[in-house]
Amino acid sequence: MRFGALRGRRPAAEPVRDGAARWAAPSVPVRKIGWRTRLKADRSLLLMVLPAVGLLVVFAYVAMLGNIIAWQNYSPYTGFLHSPFVAWANFERVFSNPLFLDAVRNTLTITAFQLVFFFPIPIFLALLLNSVMSPRLRTAIQSVVYLPHFFSWVLVVTLFQQMLGGAGLVSQTLRQHGYAGFDLMTNPDSFLVLITMQSVWKDAGWGIIIFLAALGTVSPELYEAAAVDGANRWRRIWHVTLPALRPVILLLLILRLGDSLTVGFEQLILQRGAVGPGVSEVIDTYVYYQGVVNGDWGFSAAAGLVKGVVSLALVLGANKMAHLFGEAGVYQKA
Amino acid sequence: MSGQVPEISLDGAVQPVDVTPADRARRRKRRSKYRPAWEEEPTGLGAAGKAVVLTFVVFAVVFPLYTVLLTSFSTQAETIRAGGLVTVPGELTLNAYKLILSGSVVTRAVLVSVGITAVGTLLSITVSVLAAYGLSRPRSFGHRPILFIFLITMFFGAGLIPTYLLVSSLGLIDSYWALILPGAVSAFNVLILRNFFMGIEPAVIDAARIDGAGDWRILAKIVLPMSRAAVAVIALFYGVGYWNAFFNAILYINDNAKWPLQLVLRSYVLQGVNLPGSGSGSVDVVHGAVSGLPLQMAVVVLAVLPILMVYPFVQRHFTKGVIFGAVKG
Amino acid sequence: MKTTTPLSRVGFMAVDRRSFLRMVAAGAAVVGVPSLLAGCTSSSPTGAATSGRPIGDVIPSYIPVEYVTPDFPSVNGSVPGFLTLPKELVQSVASAPGSGATFKAMTPLWGTIPPTTGNQYYKAVNGMLGSTIEFQITDGNTYGDKLATVLASAKDVPDWVCIPTWNLPPRFGSEIVGNVFQDLTPYLAGDKVKEYPNLANIPSDAWKFCVFNGKLYGLPFPGGTLNDAIFYRKDLIEGMGITVDVKSGDDLLALALELTDAAAGRWGADDLWTPATIIHSVPPKWKLDGGKLVHRFESDEYRAALEWNAKLFASGAVHPDAVAGQTGDAKKRFQSGRTLIMGDGLGGWNEALRDNLASNPSYWQQPFDYFAADGGKPVLFKANPTNIFSFLKKSDDKNKITELLALANLLAAPFGTTECDVITNGVEGVHYTKDSAGLPVPTPLAATELQPTYIFLVDGPVTETHVQYPGYVKAISTWQAKAAEYATDPLFYGQQISEPQQFGSLGQPFVDLELDISRGRKSLSDLDAAVTTWKAAGGDDLRAFYQEILDAQ
Repeated sequence: MRFGALRGRRPAAEPVRDGAARWAAPSVPVRKIGWRTRLKADRSLLLMVLPAVGLLVVFAYVAMLGNIIAWQNYSPYTGFLHSPFVAWANFERVFSNPLFLDAVRNTLTITAFQLVFFFPIPIFLALLLNSVMSPRLRTAIQSVVYLPHFFSWVLVVTLFQQMLGGAGLVSQTLRQHGYAGFDLMTNPDSFLVLITMQSVWKDAGWGIIIFLAALGTVSPELYEAAAVDGANRWRRIWHVTLPALRPVILLLLILRLGDSLTVGFEQLILQRGAVGPGVSEVIDTYVYYQGVVNGDWGFSAAAGLVKGVVSLALVLGANKMAHLFGEAGVYQKA
Repeated sequence: MSGQVPEISLDGAVQPVDVTPADRARRRKRRSKYRPAWEEEPTGLGAAGKAVVLTFVVFAVVFPLYTVLLTSFSTQAETIRAGGLVTVPGELTLNAYKLILSGSVVTRAVLVSVGITAVGTLLSITVSVLAAYGLSRPRSFGHRPILFIFLITMFFGAGLIPTYLLVSSLGLIDSYWALILPGAVSAFNVLILRNFFMGIEPAVIDAARIDGAGDWRILAKIVLPMSRAAVAVIALFYGVGYWNAFFNAILYINDNAKWPLQLVLRSYVLQGVNLPGSGSGSVDVVHGAVSGLPLQMAVVVLAVLPILMVYPFVQRHFTKGVIFGAVKG
Repeated sequence: MKTTTPLSRVGFMAVDRRSFLRMVAAGAAVVGVPSLLAGCTSSSPTGAATSGRPIGDVIPSYIPVEYVTPDFPSVNGSVPGFLTLPKELVQSVASAPGSGATFKAMTPLWGTIPPTTGNQYYKAVNGMLGSTIEFQITDGNTYGDKLATVLASAKDVPDWVCIPTWNLPPRFGSEIVGNVFQDLTPYLAGDKVKEYPNLANIPSDAWKFCVFNGKLYGLPFPGGTLNDAIFYRKDLIEGMGITVDVKSGDDLLALALELTDAAAGRWGADDLWTPATIIHSVPPKWKLDGGKLVHRFESDEYRAALEWNAKLFASGAVHPDAVAGQTGDAKKRFQSGRTLIMGDGLGGWNEALRDNLASNPSYWQQPFDYFAADGGKPVLFKANPTNIFSFLKKSDDKNKITELLALANLLAAPFGTTECDVITNGVEGVHYTKDSAGLPVPTPLAATELQPTYIFLVDGPVTETHVQYPGYVKAISTWQAKAAEYATDPLFYGQQISEPQQFGSLGQPFVDLELDISRGRKSLSDLDAAVTTWKAAGGDDLRAFYQEILDAQ
């Protein structure tokens, strides 16, 4: 590698980003340490984790027990203990409806599309902003680009409607000059592109924050050293910048994969009438309209559990794949 | 901002040799004074491309923001004339803001929200930093099970009613703690922090350990100072989360005097809804004054304002060139 | 990134009332385990199996009391109209009925939260009442979620709970109402209501709808019988030189198209689905066809309405934002002249005048006189007589219940009483001042303090009293009188029927189909397919369920 000399020169200053090296089994055989010793050695760590775990156990796990209603014909008034047990009936209902498959298909399509066209954008923007020289300009841009994140989806859809709708700014301008207008908001065929555009507009700017923080951990001396060694701009990005971002990107990617089954609920409900459920029905909206609207708590709980199991499996799978590529992933086997 | 100027002095860099005055002039003109000497000039195409993209991005964001802002300062009649959001300034008025800011309800709600956000963020970030550090050594005792405890909460939630019953049985209904405790720990944020902590050079930590420092001291004296950016970002995420939350207030807070700001602001947006069966009856929502779009936009602006004020403080930590003082040479 | 259950996200959006109602209409009235039914019309006594007494015995007697004579009296059940505010107000309740106790009440609100301390409006009304009502106000759009959680937790239920019909939880009739709320039959049935003259003033239809399982539970917020109208911008259309003469569905289509000029930013119509159902006389749920029960979705009228609406959309006369489902902004489009025809509730009329007359004195909107799509005699189905109920928490304390009913009696004071005046307008000098014509002009304080709260608990019969808009009361009263001629009771009118839970989501596909077919994404053959599926998936069972009820009547 071209920068091997660099590494030899200043090993301490260079953050080791190569995950594989970090957690690979050490060459020196490790003595088997008894668990009591390890417990004693790590007790501070355990103490540190305690408050968070305590809060989670109380507010997340105890509440999660409520998911028992997935196996019941639950009525809020009768309560958990007395509602009749119906075994897997709720789960069956989730799967048996033909709309379910459509919902899954739409969900996966949207997730895949956004993985390619939405996920990389904050990274790209962060790199772009990072390369802006003037700090004033950079700060100025950073200070506005995240703001759309705080707009509600109602507002975002309204804004898009006013710009790109059939009676929107663009269409009206075209009409006034004699051309035909167009309506991007009610076209089911371009819906995928539309919602991705909306998501990018709303959330890309917010997404760069994490990457900016990660980029901030890179010492500029590294860039200088690389430049002095003869690396041009692109090689510097490849060998210094991106490795700095790699752990964060991977973590977010794995988590995003785990979240594949969740794609924009409010955004899609708002536009359901515009393009029809054929393209806008996803798992969350399916559960909402089939279950929640009718107060069918057991149904929603069952669907939630199925989603959770699949998502967890996806995360574990993605993590395993990361290991195969020599990356640390979310957790490692050590 | 002073923090943004790279710490490297330009003197130490290698200066190109200027042969002719023309060279010198060209060089002076093109070099941005913030560009470190080792970085090459951008190509014409590159600079142009960058400018186009950035301009587009900025415009795409600023224009709608401008529209929202303008609409909030317009009169109701102006929005009716414009058929919605106002893009060209017409009649302007401060009525929308006057209406919102004149109520004592809003002032109180601001205090409630600020309190909840401050206390909540402090609690969350403390607990999260501790947990993230506690999880940052992959071979520590119970590492995997504990990690899974966090991970699982990311994919399995509790329903509306079980959570409510839980909070109610803990006696937290109508208490501000109901707005803080249930959401205090976000596994996602903890994982991000953990990720940053694990990215710290192990040599540094090992050195400290050899010197006899325990985990607490390592966390306080080494890890935290080096992770300022990450902690700032996660604190921002938590803060924004607390500030924007309103649905939990709907569920758990009955006393209207305890409502946080988001909820109060939302209620302005709900005005003028025609109740079914009101027919021609006497259901008259707010009498007179401003209702409708300018009010809704003013609400949006007011809701975003605090973030605008807080963000620069967080941004300060993203400066390019944080020198790792502990490990020079 | 945590996967929250979808329900918790409901709160994040302002669900449009209309879409909400669509879902409710398509779905079920009240979904619950099959229960013992009493529902029957006022004329004949019930024969229902285990329900008990005839509904006529369960509801209060109707003893109307008039404090002011209306200028436009009620015709065939239309809303009476008043041209002027009465100079003399009568105090309907002699002395404050309260005992100084404090009661908690949970109500929704679509509006800004009034301050709870130092609120002079509350002080004034509580002064009249003699007791204090502490409101726990909830955001109206998420009221359903709040209700669901509160009703699940018995100790958190307040003394007085408002429940709009569209928020009635499933199994309400079968499990909740009997166990959580107080049976009011022993207090109000028949002549017992004479103790509460203002409650006796509320029409019987409204009370009938408050009967669950043969017992009276709810206190009504009475509504008008005909609530939906098709409005057009009379001022703008006549300004274009067009005379409006719409007598059939085709006329309406032609008018909408004529008014459309995309380049000028003007479209003839908004989404006219509800108007379509009106002019095609689509039954709200069931109709009898030759002795057989036919459901709305199966009916020819429904099909015809869909076909008509699809034609409307296809003609290009519908505003693109309406095509995109942006129903929340329909009024803004209409009021700014971007659409010229819109369906809306009658209550929207006076609100539009309130919002527009000041800046646009020539603003005028007018509903079309009702017509049938085929040009014949229109058939209009009456709307639910009550849309909002309130319930009292079950209690063994008779004094508490009687006191709450006495408070309700005061709150239901009709137009022309001092109580009604204070509840509607507040305190003179603080919340309003009288202008030269004697009309109340609200002060800025009114905007913050005076919000609809008490009316969510109980209210007097509907009256049209918006005298401040010139010509309005006359227009709406005469229009309503004409329209009321065609009003008919739909099948099962005013009956509170709990449908079994399994039929809950049967109607959902039709909600989507209505949107899809109108916009041309699906065709009528898809409707036929959906109806066949509906029948097999439970529609026929539902029919049998209702047939039983019908036979019992």
